[in-house]
Amino acid sequence: MGRDRTTDVLVIGAGPAGSMTAKWAAKKGARVVMLEKRQEIGSPVRCGEGMSKDWLADVGIKPGRWVNLEVEGARIYSPSEKVFEINEKHAGNEVGYVVERDEFDKQLAIDAANAGVEILLKTSATSILKENGRVVGAKVKQFGEPYEIRAPITIGADGFESQVGRWAGIPTNLAMKDMDTCLQYRMTNVDCDVRYCDFFLGKVAPGGYVWIFPKGEGLANVGIGVQVSQVTSPADARTYLDRWIDKHPGYAKGKKIDMVGGGVSIAPPLRQTVADGIMIVGDAARMIDPLTGGGIANGCIAGKICGTVAAEAAQTKDVSKEFLQQYEKGWRARLEEKLYRNWLAKEKLVTLSDDVFDKLIDALADVKLEKLNVHNILRAVHEKYPEVTKEFEAFL
Amino acid sequence: MPSKKSLHIESSGQLCIYCGACVGICPLNCIYLDETRITFDEGVCTRCEICVKACPVGAIEIG
Repeated sequence: MGRDRTTDVLVIGAGPAGSMTAKWAAKKGARVVMLEKRQEIGSPVRCGEGMSKDWLADVGIKPGRWVNLEVEGARIYSPSEKVFEINEKHAGNEVGYVVERDEFDKQLAIDAANAGVEILLKTSATSILKENGRVVGAKVKQFGEPYEIRAPITIGADGFESQVGRWAGIPTNLAMKDMDTCLQYRMTNVDCDVRYCDFFLGKVAPGGYVWIFPKGEGLANVGIGVQVSQVTSPADARTYLDRWIDKHPGYAKGKKIDMVGGGVSIAPPLRQTVADGIMIVGDAARMIDPLTGGGIANGCIAGKICGTVAAEAAQTKDVSKEFLQQYEKGWRARLEEKLYRNWLAKEKLVTLSDDVFDKLIDALADVKLEKLNVHNILRAVHEKYPEVTKEFEAFL
Repeated sequence: MPSKKSLHIESSGQLCIYCGACVGICPLNCIYLDETRITFDEGVCTRCEICVKACPVGAIEIG
């Protein structure tokens, strides 16, 4: 058809992973087209908006007006609300910014555009194009009009509800135990401390946690994740979150001004993220940290590698899955070990009783840990509750 | 002939928040989200009910 066109690299989805991939492919000299199905990049926000910050410089992201506020630490609450505080000193990479996620996504898209990426809004991929078993682009619909974009390399950066990987035959299916169903209210007039992000563990949120990300001036994102395999009746995420809010007067007095939901994968690393002519990246490639539920950093780190490899593949005209192993190996070297280790930790944590959570946090609250790692944590717990550490022998 | 149970996704906006949780978990990839419309493929869906659990707001029912 008349509008059919070609490019070197076609990126499907303009979230952080898509924009990073597109930017780095363009910086390395490729012609890049990036699709966004919505009319506005970054909106509506589907995110708790907490982000670590130690990785940003590495991938070329400068703090900008998307930084909402900087926190000093995180507080982990046990079921009986004993508190363990993690601060920058012993967990620099786990605390950081609360962000305006829509501004963040737009900034990354602007960076991509400035690097030469062409961005098509209100354009969704409806299927991929395949020739001789190789992906050669996608059928798209822009403002309702269908046409084809052909490209030697296609990137699936289409988020949690990803279709692109599955269309290409890359298995991305999730077990119920490897997904949290999430709901969040933005609330105003709440009593939260802007110095901390707060997390509440235990049966208040089976297989997940309740989070508070402060936004300043009495505003906060108050949300919950519940492991899908532990859901017993429809809308459990909402039921648990409303119950938690009701029991906390500082939040019960607040007013809800916004509500978002979504799925978060808490899965082990995928076995495969490339096939001939295609790579998948970010939430679409199940790169979310299974312990924290954070996906932005991993998506951006992998995006830089993905974009770099995409440009090389397009230029050398070798888009075989063998060539694309550079990306597969590259992101695994950076992320895989931690993803797997945190998935194992998640698998254990979701089985703990409220009593064990209380003892864990109680033991940690009493000691001054210099460095936060599994060994130091378990040693502290062992001194006070030796019976509890039996649960964790496998981690030592 | 036993007939399949019926699956109903309330996607008019009374309950559904178009978050895509059901789309991401569907093991048969048969739920589709198009901005403010959610549809599913009757013929492919086996009524496994995983999407019912994954929906954070209870917008999916099986009867």
